[in-house]
Amino acid sequence: MSSLNGNGRPTGRTYWRSLNEVADTPEFRTFMHREFPSGATELLDGTDRRGFLKIMGASMALAGAGLTGCRRWPEQHIAPFASRPDGTVPGQAQQYASIVELGGIATGILATTHDGRPTKLEGNPDHPGSGGALNAHQQAMVLDLYDPDRSRGVLEHPGDAAKAAAREWADFEQWWGTHADSLGTGKGLWFVSEPTGSPSVRRMQRVIRRRFPDATWVNWDPTASAEKAGLDAAMGGDLRPVYDLSKADVIVSLDSDFLCSHGDALNLSRQWATRRTPDNMNRLLVAEPGLSLTGANADDRWAMRSADVAVIAAHLAAVFTGDGSIERALSPEAQAAADAMAAQLRNANGRSVVIAGRSQSAAVHHHVAIINEAMGNTGSTVSYVRVSEAEMATADLKAFATAAANGSVNTAVLIGVNPVYDAPADLGFAAALGKVANRISLSSHVDETSRACTMHLPKAHALECWGDGVAWDGTVSVQQPMILPLYGGRSIIELLAVMAGEADTAGFDITRRTFEELTGKAMTPAGETPGYDADWRRALHAGVIEGTSATAETPPVRRTVAPLPIEDGGIEVNFTPSYAIGDGRFANNGWLQEFPDPITKLTWDNAVLMHADDAAEAGVSDGDIVRVTVGGTSVEGPAIVQPGQAKSTVSIALGWGRTFPGRVSTGAGFDAYPLRASNAMWTRTGASVSGTGESMELARTQDHFAIDSIGGQGTQERLPVLFREGSVDTWKKDHAFAQHMGHSMGRLSLWQEQQFDGADYAWGMSIDLSKCIGCGDCVIACQAENNIPVVGKHQVIMGREMHWLRIDRYYRFASDGHGHYDTSNPSTVAMQPMMCQQCENAPCEQVCPVAATVHTTDGLNAMVYNRCVGTRYCSNNCPYKVRRFNYFDYFRRDPMRDTGMLQVQPDYYVRRQSGGDPLRRMQFNPDVSVRMRGVMEKCTWCTQRIEAAKIDARNAWVKLPEAEKAQAKRVVIPDGTIVPACAQTCATDAIVFGDLMDPESQVSKLHRDDLSYGLLEELNVKPRNKFLARVTNPTDGERYPHDHGGHGHGHGSHGDHGHTEAAH
Amino acid sequence: MTTLPVDNPMNVDESPDTRAPLIIGHESFDTVTAEICRVNEAKKPPRAWYIAMAMSVSLLGLLGCMVGYLIFTGVGVWGNNNPVMWGFPIVNFVFWVGIGHAGTLISAILFLFRQKWRTSINRFAEAMTIFAVICAGLFPGIHIGRVWLAYWLFPIPNQMDMWPQFRSPLLWDVFAVSTYFTVSLLFWYVGLIPDLATLRDRATSKIKAFSYGLFSLGWRGSMRHWHRYERAYLLLAALATPLVLSVHSVVSFDFAVSQLPGWHTTIFPPYFVAGAIFSGFAMVLTLAIPARELWGLKNFITLRHLENMAKIVLLTGSMVGYAYGMEFFIAWYSGELYESFAFVNRAFGQYAWAYWIMVSCNVITPQIFWFKACRRNIWVLFVASLFVNIGMWFERFVITVTSLAQDFLPSSWGWYEPTWVDFVTFLGSFGLFMTLFLLFIRYLPVLAIAEIKAIMPAADPHAHDHDEEAHE
Repeated sequence: MSSLNGNGRPTGRTYWRSLNEVADTPEFRTFMHREFPSGATELLDGTDRRGFLKIMGASMALAGAGLTGCRRWPEQHIAPFASRPDGTVPGQAQQYASIVELGGIATGILATTHDGRPTKLEGNPDHPGSGGALNAHQQAMVLDLYDPDRSRGVLEHPGDAAKAAAREWADFEQWWGTHADSLGTGKGLWFVSEPTGSPSVRRMQRVIRRRFPDATWVNWDPTASAEKAGLDAAMGGDLRPVYDLSKADVIVSLDSDFLCSHGDALNLSRQWATRRTPDNMNRLLVAEPGLSLTGANADDRWAMRSADVAVIAAHLAAVFTGDGSIERALSPEAQAAADAMAAQLRNANGRSVVIAGRSQSAAVHHHVAIINEAMGNTGSTVSYVRVSEAEMATADLKAFATAAANGSVNTAVLIGVNPVYDAPADLGFAAALGKVANRISLSSHVDETSRACTMHLPKAHALECWGDGVAWDGTVSVQQPMILPLYGGRSIIELLAVMAGEADTAGFDITRRTFEELTGKAMTPAGETPGYDADWRRALHAGVIEGTSATAETPPVRRTVAPLPIEDGGIEVNFTPSYAIGDGRFANNGWLQEFPDPITKLTWDNAVLMHADDAAEAGVSDGDIVRVTVGGTSVEGPAIVQPGQAKSTVSIALGWGRTFPGRVSTGAGFDAYPLRASNAMWTRTGASVSGTGESMELARTQDHFAIDSIGGQGTQERLPVLFREGSVDTWKKDHAFAQHMGHSMGRLSLWQEQQFDGADYAWGMSIDLSKCIGCGDCVIACQAENNIPVVGKHQVIMGREMHWLRIDRYYRFASDGHGHYDTSNPSTVAMQPMMCQQCENAPCEQVCPVAATVHTTDGLNAMVYNRCVGTRYCSNNCPYKVRRFNYFDYFRRDPMRDTGMLQVQPDYYVRRQSGGDPLRRMQFNPDVSVRMRGVMEKCTWCTQRIEAAKIDARNAWVKLPEAEKAQAKRVVIPDGTIVPACAQTCATDAIVFGDLMDPESQVSKLHRDDLSYGLLEELNVKPRNKFLARVTNPTDGERYPHDHGGHGHGHGSHGDHGHTEAAH
Repeated sequence: MTTLPVDNPMNVDESPDTRAPLIIGHESFDTVTAEICRVNEAKKPPRAWYIAMAMSVSLLGLLGCMVGYLIFTGVGVWGNNNPVMWGFPIVNFVFWVGIGHAGTLISAILFLFRQKWRTSINRFAEAMTIFAVICAGLFPGIHIGRVWLAYWLFPIPNQMDMWPQFRSPLLWDVFAVSTYFTVSLLFWYVGLIPDLATLRDRATSKIKAFSYGLFSLGWRGSMRHWHRYERAYLLLAALATPLVLSVHSVVSFDFAVSQLPGWHTTIFPPYFVAGAIFSGFAMVLTLAIPARELWGLKNFITLRHLENMAKIVLLTGSMVGYAYGMEFFIAWYSGELYESFAFVNRAFGQYAWAYWIMVSCNVITPQIFWFKACRRNIWVLFVASLFVNIGMWFERFVITVTSLAQDFLPSSWGWYEPTWVDFVTFLGSFGLFMTLFLLFIRYLPVLAIAEIKAIMPAADPHAHDHDEEAHE
């Protein structure tokens, strides 16, 4: 890679010798210079097909021997695409193991690359933090790689148009060489870095410390939890709790969204889901201020102020330790929750766990550690590992801001952080930073912080550089690049190596050296082919370094606890990281901007979530702009009246309202960071909320009507049939309770229905509603796999979002029996993934005038894009409304551009917008057509994956001896071979796909389950997807709204639909 | 027989002993020919024609711009969205097809039933039909996502070896509407031949003589010509009659055959046919009232004709009202969750305003025609016919949009809002319609000259006897 910068910097080690030899030829230099980093702009401006193939051909050739797919692999030849590297077949995708790191936690990925370009990220099943799943953020990182707004090179004074100047890395290195000498021992040199567990970063920190012993290192994560401080107070040290929820009968969440917003959420949700089977069901109790995904999946949930949740922790600790001194007075709301939790926990010694959320104070985390120890859970459902994130971290951001404001900081190196945007307002960060003479920022975009710096350095994407990282449980993995840096970015370790004056500044060398230190395996002796030793290969191949997981500990917990912070009255403001764009780092990612918030179903914006009473008091309803004021600072944003929000609280998602000029992020949401204070990062009390008289349109993918309207009432009436659920008690009384909730009429048909004669397979799907948490990770998986376009806020408002797979979220409200519902607090929240149900008797097929949607013998409802003329009749006749229409050439529109009355910009007609960009197109999955305007599209259950598996199976079959061939009636594809993208990334394994012709396949068994029902099967559409009715485990046994009617039915939500009896 | 003043109640009131004349003010065939041909033969049309033409052509131009913009940009320029995949274009399509209904009904069915009063209105009612069907045909054509492939909807043998999908009501629609258009056009043209010949014979310029001559197919008015002509006309009337019922039944299948709550109802075919006749007659009224004023055709289109049409509007309006009521009854009686919601939601949900506009225009407005005074007041007739046109457009809007906006799964419920392109395109379709209609008035005989002559007392061999008896 170093050679690619064309600056002739010596690169030291033997690994690079061969590449250097090649690189030093003038032709190669010219080629590289033209095509790579500095030539990247050409990628954007109308690269012709020839040029594009050349780039891709080179990337493929550089991809090396098929082990890593890395274009920086020490390869011997720059070969034309025609002589392919061993083990690769042109056009066939390869998967390489690597990691992506978020919040300092590494998650194992398998990156799918097509001819050298990564197109999709999937979880690495061998990685303890993934288990095969990835969340929405991690999956969407592949789109960040191709973000046309990423910074294109080193910039001096990027924020000052007058002084801004493009530079080369060599210029920076030269400047740093002289500047570093002037820094002496490093007094006045500060590093502010994103948290990372990377052993290489830690090693580079040691090197830095050797050179600059007085330098200060700060870790800054705007979404950091107080857990670490709490556990440090409780047990001492850098501890991280590792849970085993599969052993827990009772799980108490104190404002913890462990199913989704947690460093180990993929694992936790998987473990939780293993116990969501009616015969051995766990019980999840949640107390929280705003409705989180975990709250939505709770068996019992209490909405209350965050401060009241803290008091519950103290109360439970007092109850279970018998230490009355910890006890604090409970509010009436908290009392009910605390009593129920105590009662449940009391019966589950050693088989329960209490988890506190990131927004709770350190004291609460300490309390929780006490409870877990007192209950005997430590060592059973929870244990602790020691993981140090940064050896050098010696100060916090506040210290930096103070020092900077004092003028005692000479040089600030900001690594992958954006504090100008996300630091608490009371630090006055931007002003303090302005007093630092030399401000260097390494970031992927020229973001708010880079603009305030004197030097911006482009940061390499995780798929572009070598590195390593540590999973939640301490397991170390190597990160390998899939592609050369598109814009000449460098990784953290490469920057640190330069800063430390290391001889080896290539990421590969650094990572490799760290690997050797970690494993104690010596480096390949000079002269031999480098990098091919077995351990290294194994680590790269498996995606984990064996035997590196940390040892679980159960240190004793100190029983003296710091007092809980005193809270003010007034409205309590709770901040949450956005489900869509995290802390704001994904703001320029179109997939995530358009990712419907799992709870509010809001896209392209955040909102002030309010309780109905508070909203009424402020005189606002959905979409009205409210002003939230705390301590003299106020922000304005649209209100959403959120069922399940605690009274006198509002919840606001962070990460929105970015001000750097991203083509996707601009204009999306409002910035809530100014409301935060360094001593109240997650909760601020004493706020006031008032209407401003203005309002705006919200781009929500669901709920285009008021909850208390006719539509809301109609929804409540049909919910028991659509989303069938019952409690464990109901299930025990009648395993088939779900079968009595709908009615199916006779199976008469006007014509001969689809025949499946001669079919070799009958594809089917089953979705377990007990396991689905509604996180929406599958939505992004589907989007990445199937080239689903982003349509933009305006189009979502118009109702034209393109997601093939959506998660339907319904609230069930308790009724007073007269059609009035208490809409402030849902009795359950239903999450129902909805995609094409592949009806055997598909209504869409019957009405298409041109036969563009037809049935395959395998039972798939196939959509023939080439044949579609776009009458849209199929969608009208689809009872599930899962068909999506390309009203425009969405794949090439810039989603957030202001389009005004004409809805498109002039350059739409000449294909100049982002999707027409060759760079953006590199992400497209070549196995799936990109659909043009005027064409209907929909879920195909990833037919490209099915076909690939069928081809493989048939190729294998052909090679069988004739005798065996004659015996086999059909080419069997073993169950589990085919996994659609949604099922692949589902952490809870709620989605199961397979062959219904095989009676032993998992999906066949699930279809035979008593809980299995086809949605709207009374329409005789015969869906091939069936849902398993949700079974929940509430403390009061039966809690479903319709149970309280007193009509004597034993079934969970049998409801008052008299006609349901008719079927029996 | 004396010349009666125009709008004389004598023409309207039937008395047991006297049959009111169907047209008034004419004694000889000659004056009839002269008066009708005057419209075409005038050196310059009235100023109102120019103004109307300028407006219509402007709107037509706008329509062209909108269609061009649509084709180059995508269907997204309209307000259609995910649950509501069909919006204005299909609403407009059904609206225009409905209007195109009255012409053939008047010419074919009333012809077969020997309703002689039809002769005064059939020609331009048929013209209206043809132009309305042209407008109707435009919308499904441009409404599809890939307009350049619209021909795939026709069963044309092709290299792909692909036929259309014959189970789709949209395909039936293609056949029904194109057949209807073809037969209506033929019927209209056959009826025009003797009159074209008349214009040819009276032509003062060579161009006129040539063009009218070309289209009159060498008509000389011989006995044999008349014989063949009347046979052909009768046959076409018989052919067109089932089409009157079939075309809108098939259009209703677009909705009824689907399984959407609010669409999936067996009442749709008769209900749509009644609604189409209703709207067609309303449109005939809307066009006839100003036309007879402007071109002085009050002797031919008498108050009696208008009153007869008002009675049909009352009848079909009530049928439509009954259908509205029956839909609600069935929705309730079926106990079907989705169906009953669809109708409650129609009347009281987010589109309730559209529903109540529809009910007040279509059900309440025609009820005034129970009163003779209203049936005979030109202004009341004109305003009421406008209301019915509006109401029938809203009927199609209510059916199409409300059912789609909120169907089975509440998660996909949406809200449809048309864009400015939708409105301008709809307005532009009136430009197309009016342009064609104004050209028709200018260049073709607006009334069936030959047929009118046939119903005059002079054509009745016994008329004189009657007259004498009356005078005795």
